Amino acid sequence: MVPLSVLIDALTLSNLLALMTLGLSLTYMTLRVSNFAHGDFATIGAYITYTLLVFYSVNPYLSLPFSFILGGIISLIMYVLILRPLQRRGANLVILMVATVGFEVIIRNVLHIYADTVEKLTNRFFRSFIIRDSYIPFMGSLVPQVTITSTCIVISLLLTLYIVLTRTKLGIAMRAAIENPQLASALGIDVEKVYMISWFLAGGLTAIAGSLLPYRLPCNPETGWLILLRVFAAAILGGINSIWGSIAGSYIIGFSEVVGIYVLAKPPLNLPTTYKPLIPFSILIITLLLLPNGITGINWQKVSIRLRRR
Amino acid sequence: MAEGLYKAEEEMMLGIVSPMDFLLGILTFYSIYLMLSISLNLEYGYAGIPNFGKVMFFAGGAFTIGAFVTRFVGHIIGLNLSNYYIRNVILATEVDKYFSSHPHLAISIFLLTLMMSALIGAILGYIASYPAIRLKADYLGITLIASGEVLRIIAKNYKPLVCGSLGVAVPNPFVFIDMPLRGVVQCLVMLGIAIGCWYFVEILTRSPFGRVLRAVREDELATAAFGRDVVKIKMKALVIGSAISGLAGGLYAYYIGVVHPDDFAPLWTFTIWVMVIIGGMGNNFGSAIGALAYTVVERLTMYYKDYIPLPFNVVYLGYIAFAIVLILMLMYRPAGLMPEKPIMTINFEAIRKRIYSRMAKKTSSNSHR
Repeated sequence: MVPLSVLIDALTLSNLLALMTLGLSLTYMTLRVSNFAHGDFATIGAYITYTLLVFYSVNPYLSLPFSFILGGIISLIMYVLILRPLQRRGANLVILMVATVGFEVIIRNVLHIYADTVEKLTNRFFRSFIIRDSYIPFMGSLVPQVTITSTCIVISLLLTLYIVLTRTKLGIAMRAAIENPQLASALGIDVEKVYMISWFLAGGLTAIAGSLLPYRLPCNPETGWLILLRVFAAAILGGINSIWGSIAGSYIIGFSEVVGIYVLAKPPLNLPTTYKPLIPFSILIITLLLLPNGITGINWQKVSIRLRRR
Repeated sequence: MAEGLYKAEEEMMLGIVSPMDFLLGILTFYSIYLMLSISLNLEYGYAGIPNFGKVMFFAGGAFTIGAFVTRFVGHIIGLNLSNYYIRNVILATEVDKYFSSHPHLAISIFLLTLMMSALIGAILGYIASYPAIRLKADYLGITLIASGEVLRIIAKNYKPLVCGSLGVAVPNPFVFIDMPLRGVVQCLVMLGIAIGCWYFVEILTRSPFGRVLRAVREDELATAAFGRDVVKIKMKALVIGSAISGLAGGLYAYYIGVVHPDDFAPLWTFTIWVMVIIGGMGNNFGSAIGALAYTVVERLTMYYKDYIPLPFNVVYLGYIAFAIVLILMLMYRPAGLMPEKPIMTINFEAIRKRIYSRMAKKTSSNSHR
């Protein structure tokens, strides 16, 4: 059987993935462009938390609002200054994607410069840093605090999102603007405002996830890029157009990665754990080839008809 | 990518780079970048396949050289190939020694293995054409990036391929030439191959096949309605482009002298896209210009980075500058420095008319006599 500690680890990773994937889905729904700079919002969050911890000894959990706001602002800047003008000039999908890759390179190298400069000036580690966590005993194993915090954040976020999207005027306007921008703007909804809110939320949520990342893995400026493909895997597996699907997808990816490598590293195969990223990447490739609309995109009626015919 | 330039970087730290070596470095890297940018131009500029996994095909070619050359030659000359993972540097030096006394074998092995790396690139391209035909642009991009990372992670962890994260040494096929001349010869050979590839793509894109590629890019449905097999055409473009990338990877491995899986990060793909977009998509001269601009700036930053008193590596600043230039280009000059031009073909109608008129003149003048 899989020990509880592995499951807890998987839960932590999945929670963080869920936060990032939610953001990715939100932005994908606005412009229909896959944002390759999305992972770097998480790196920004990690660096904000670590900087505050090192220089001002702020508790990492208390730095979450800062990362939320700053990550959101950077995401918003990207939308307003790069993607929106490009789209208005009639750039196609590939051009928008190349622009997001360009922005990703900018963020990553700015972080590289930041890390190098601070390391040189203060003689502290600003690469491959981790933050030590406190543990709470639970059922014979130790549960890190980050698991509990991230689970609480995801659950409260989902509840808020559900209430906002179904019960409030803003949420309904958001759904309308995403579903059919022309019709929504004809009905007096400010589509631009809705899009800007989506981008701000996306960057903010991802930065929050990034702030919690140093608890789980060593962070450096490349972390966001490495985690990005997992986020894409989760979003596409869940169906990139569906918020709830992307949540489900991130739990599937998180658990299959952590539990999968635990199983594969055991006696019959004895694979080294460095093969870990291959699990989400192969799920991603297989999903794209066989099921490009994700699990929420499966037409269950058709499937059942086909099964009945057999 | 910055980690991989061992040879060049080491020399620069020692401060022994003469202007001649600097020029040779630029030309050698230019030949590799030219091949990569021209192949991306064929794939995206002409056929409209957004290949975001360029580094995969490039790495495929380099891994072929790294995994194959020492073993193959070692097998021929009867070296002990056990413990290859640990002893590959010693074996590579042995092969070097053998090469220095057998120039013919060295050259034929060089050409043969380059062909193999092009073949491996083509096979990877054939595999990649399966998703390329079926998926939307963004999904295809993600698939190819993920496949490139899968290849890199496998190469990093599966030691028999290229000796894992330590990398594998590659023998130099030009050791039989003495040192100052060797760099020049190697550079000229690489430049020659690169220009050959460029000329091949130029001819290809001017041919009827090139026109079909553009037709596919503009409107697949209309092209299919005119009886063209869109799937096959896209596949051909991807296979040719990937073969050129694989060849570039092979040359890169021979030049650097070591194949290191972590060297083949997705940043390569970005730089190649920068070259093609700056130069102009759908224009082979543009790709060449873009690659040249990129190479010169990159080499200059690499060369001067130790002289600039900044607390960080200037290379990062270079990447930021390129990304900003890329985004500005996309906004204000999306066609690039050299926009796509209509293809000039031979005007057969005019030639025929001219010949007829001349013949008519001749016959009339003959009859007068």
